[in-house]
Amino acid sequence: MTADPVATPTDARRIVVVGVGVVGRRVSRLLGTTVEHTGHRLASMARLEPGAAATGEFGPGDVVVLATGAPHASTAAELAEVGASVVSVSDDLGDTRQLLELDDHFRQSGATLVVGAAMSPGLSGLLARHLSSRLAVVEEIHVAVHATAGPACARQHHRALSGRAAGWHDGVWIERPAGSGRELCWFPEPVGAHDCYRAELPDPLLLHRSHPDAIRISARMSATRRDRLTARLPMLRSPHPEGGVGALRVEVRGAAADGAREVVIAGTAELVGTAAGATATVFAEAAATDELPTGVVVTSDPSLPTTRLLERVQRRGIRLQEFTGVPQA
Amino acid sequence: MKLIRRVLGALVMAGLVAGALRVRGKGGTPPQHGGWRQLDLEPSVDGR
Repeated sequence: MTADPVATPTDARRIVVVGVGVVGRRVSRLLGTTVEHTGHRLASMARLEPGAAATGEFGPGDVVVLATGAPHASTAAELAEVGASVVSVSDDLGDTRQLLELDDHFRQSGATLVVGAAMSPGLSGLLARHLSSRLAVVEEIHVAVHATAGPACARQHHRALSGRAAGWHDGVWIERPAGSGRELCWFPEPVGAHDCYRAELPDPLLLHRSHPDAIRISARMSATRRDRLTARLPMLRSPHPEGGVGALRVEVRGAAADGAREVVIAGTAELVGTAAGATATVFAEAAATDELPTGVVVTSDPSLPTTRLLERVQRRGIRLQEFTGVPQA
Repeated sequence: MKLIRRVLGALVMAGLVAGALRVRGKGGTPPQHGGWRQLDLEPSVDGR
């Protein structure tokens, strides 16, 4: 575990990026462009060994971005003990459940834990909250994601297609086999249409926390026939260093103030690692400047300054788009 | 023999129906109206 300072140390709060994969490198690069303005110190490290948080290297006020593969829960619990805030990009359902249980730990230490600060979950939550604000009543939220970031993300994609997909359906949690429930989802160009399937994704869990009145919440990911056929086997070959252009699509259904049925859709087409990195960066800076409440925070939380956070994501090069018009055959 | 005729008849009928749906059906037709534009980030109702 070696720290690699990339900014001049000051008395300001320190942001530490753990992970040197696709997302970790993007976060370090993006934070590196703003630390001079915010006065923060920035450091990066490849990994955080178990027990490292207790060695005195981290303290109250530090913000640690966990940009490695899951699990993050045990590390986050250690960091809570020393009063450091944590921004996790974990997209593993089980790990996310454990992270959500750390609310008391972080509240007691006066720190913040941002759960799911990547593209999906992460940017998906910000977009869902933004779209929800346009409706008087939110009834359904459906998330779809296409492609992966680095190898760790690709492995998680593979696992997600062989697990049990959780969804909130008519007021109860349901579990369906991942890889079922095909739906043709239209992503922003140049990605376009892809068949998407249920998968073991944490988005419904996080969105239900912030949208308890929604009656249906689902998450799907795109997959090819080969993906689905081989999902229950070990990965047949090493994943690519980075996936191609990915995409995110968030659809919110509900009613306007006059009772009219409304469907609002937003998304982005971008390298998944870049979108995840931008989201994690924005939340790390928000945590470092005390813009976030203490305890567990999800990106669709109604108490967050959603529009401001989305503007910051856009300023980091992520082109957010919304679907206009009425889909008709 | 009667059973084979019935099975063949059923298969032919299924093929004809599937072919008709394939040619005439509208399922899965992509949206023809609408498109994507930059997300409008005007402050929402709650001012956030």
